[in-house]
Amino acid sequence: MFSFLFGKKKSASVAKDRLTIAIMSDRDRTNGYPFMDEMKAEIMEVVQKYIGVKEVQIRKEVDGNMEALAIDVELDKGA
Amino acid sequence: MGIVIAVISGKGGVGKTTATANIGLGIAFNDKKCVVVDFDIGQRNLDMVLGLENRVVYDIVQVMEGEANIKQALIKSKVNENLHFLAASQTKDKSVLESSKVEKLVAELKESFDFVILDAPAGIESGYEHTIEFADAAIIIVNPEVSSIRDADRAIGILDSKSAKVKAGEDVAKYLIINRIVADMVESGEMLKSDDILEILNIKLLGKVPEDKGVIDASNQGKPVILDKKSIAGQAYKRITGRLCGEKVDMKDIEISDKGLFKKLTGIFR
Repeated sequence: MFSFLFGKKKSASVAKDRLTIAIMSDRDRTNGYPFMDEMKAEIMEVVQKYIGVKEVQIRKEVDGNMEALAIDVELDKGA
Repeated sequence: MGIVIAVISGKGGVGKTTATANIGLGIAFNDKKCVVVDFDIGQRNLDMVLGLENRVVYDIVQVMEGEANIKQALIKSKVNENLHFLAASQTKDKSVLESSKVEKLVAELKESFDFVILDAPAGIESGYEHTIEFADAAIIIVNPEVSSIRDADRAIGILDSKSAKVKAGEDVAKYLIINRIVADMVESGEMLKSDDILEILNIKLLGKVPEDKGVIDASNQGKPVILDKKSIAGQAYKRITGRLCGEKVDMKDIEISDKGLFKKLTGIFR
């Protein structure tokens, strides 16, 4: 923020940038439910009955007051 | 019916216990009945900061186990009779806490006090979870420093998932105190600004407390710094407790409206 004045970024603004990134990644990893892994395995099992699955990903997405689960099922092309 | 406020931090050593003591005393000076409870089982400290360590007879675990009743265990402050204190157990460890017993204790304290302030242990383990589980609101203490802020975010995350209020579909009110601010460093860009911290944590401000050598002097003597009228940290706690008690106190040199905060806090304190 002060970089245009002093030519060097002040440490507080470095701290802000680093914290923003670290906290975002913390929240991604922890913003789930304790049963996520179990659910993932079960979804995989169900889809596997019909078609080959490579990976299942579940994310909790929060937008204001709305919360949603985004489930991505990546198919196994080789199967 | 009182309001239950957990004082939390995530990281240790940021001034949580000092904040609890000063908030408790400040509320008492506002003519509200207040009890401060040390939930840091096995690492009792609030008694020292309050200068009440020689008067502890029964502790919180003995109350929860039915070995003593609340009246026997509560210690009345000599400084202000509105302030009461319930000590942590020094010999047991955090694993003795059980949800149902914590709930019963908190409910009982709520009956007889306007404010029930719970001093949480550092960390985000079971002792912490038990402290926040039945709280109506939380005050988060941070230092303007990366590890404290990051740990606070984790503590807030757990509050949002483990609080009984949140589980019941209600909101748990959350407010931030930024402790140990060094104005010169903020001005020179070497310390995070309050606004930046609020933005990163996405939380409302309850107050900011400047770095003040008097805080250590105060805890040396067991006299919370709010008693020292000249202390800048003491004055900050006076403003903070004024806000908590529904007074409109301007946020000193911070460009934020505390109208919303004022409304919300008086709203939960019915």
